[in-house]
Amino acid sequence: MGHELRRKIIKIIGENDFSSFTTLKKELRVSTGTIYHHLDSLSQLIEQREDKKYYLTDLGVHAYNSLKNNIETIISPNFSSREFNSPILKGLMFLTPNQLINYTENKKLYSFLVSLIILIIGAILCGLNNLFPIFLFFGESPLNSGLNSSIFLGVFYFINFFVYALLIESICRLFYKRKENWDKLFISFGIIYFPLVLYLMIHLIFILTDYIIFPIIGIIDNIILILLQVWSLWILAYNLIVNKGLKVENALIISFLLHYGGFSIILLLSI
Amino acid sequence: MNFRKYLDFRLLGFIGSISMIISEFLSWYSELSLFSIYVLSTSLAIGDSFLYLFPLICGIICLFGTSLLIYNFEYKINSVIINFIGLGFFLIFISNIIIKDIIYLSTIRIGFYFAVIGAIFVFFDILNILLIK
Repeated sequence: MGHELRRKIIKIIGENDFSSFTTLKKELRVSTGTIYHHLDSLSQLIEQREDKKYYLTDLGVHAYNSLKNNIETIISPNFSSREFNSPILKGLMFLTPNQLINYTENKKLYSFLVSLIILIIGAILCGLNNLFPIFLFFGESPLNSGLNSSIFLGVFYFINFFVYALLIESICRLFYKRKENWDKLFISFGIIYFPLVLYLMIHLIFILTDYIIFPIIGIIDNIILILLQVWSLWILAYNLIVNKGLKVENALIISFLLHYGGFSIILLLSI
Repeated sequence: MNFRKYLDFRLLGFIGSISMIISEFLSWYSELSLFSIYVLSTSLAIGDSFLYLFPLICGIICLFGTSLLIYNFEYKINSVIINFIGLGFFLIFISNIIIKDIIYLSTIRIGFYFAVIGAIFVFFDILNILLIK
């Protein structure tokens, strides 16, 4: 189960109850020999019945259920299950809306709508807070707060979203040769912004109640931002793992480099 | 001499976080260390004084993250996430304090360099952990 192709085979058979060899070849787009090799390795999880089609064994059904819960999906050969059971990663996985990111075809619209709502709320809150976003960071807007400024920041929030998503898709294609599931990545990309929308809400409450003038509230506001950014980055990494098939290490590298890149831009603009 | 035998690149994070902790007690502007500025601004009830402790907090968190990795390499993703939280404090410190005090940058002292080099070390440590097979 450590190999991505094997997980895909289990998923294809699990989702359709059975699968023919032709379907597997069509879905996986690899050579016949490679498929046979992996089918042999999965002999305890898959069986070929008299109709020549492949079915899951009881153990295979169990493995498929684990995959559906996205537990095995993120365990790469370099990512031990012991580490996965640590409180930090368990907590992050608990907070990851995996059903919205790794959605099935019948939940596509639902995922899209949730993503869109998060984006719209985020854009409104960005305008109200007078903050301009760069990837997953926020900087103080140099414009005076007002309706025009709020509209501009809201529009900029959407532009930031598209630029960020396009950049990530381009990196996946250029450096990791991953072209698959670009539509799934885009549809669920707004969900990455959910923790930041929470931050914008908290920040707005602090501003409206004038609590932000208290130094300790300012510090709490900053700490909340750090923690919610980490949550956002984890959701982004998770999105790349399940939709682009990247290893957890590579997904984190992309997330972190872009995050620090965003910070550098904010720093340069502020100076 | 085979340096790789003696040099463990995982120590990058360790050196970086220690460097950030030390920077808190070295002079930043004029002869004042960040810790002295913190004590001074707290006694004068100046807002945001707690921000001056952020490099120290960052160093302690990153030290914990690196120690976890040195203790057991299996916890590398945990270590990366902890280091990342730690660096977040440093980024907040930079964006709040340095930008505000940019006019004093010409008089900056050794503490600043220790902190920045420490943060860069931790950053490369994160990349190093993720790239190690």
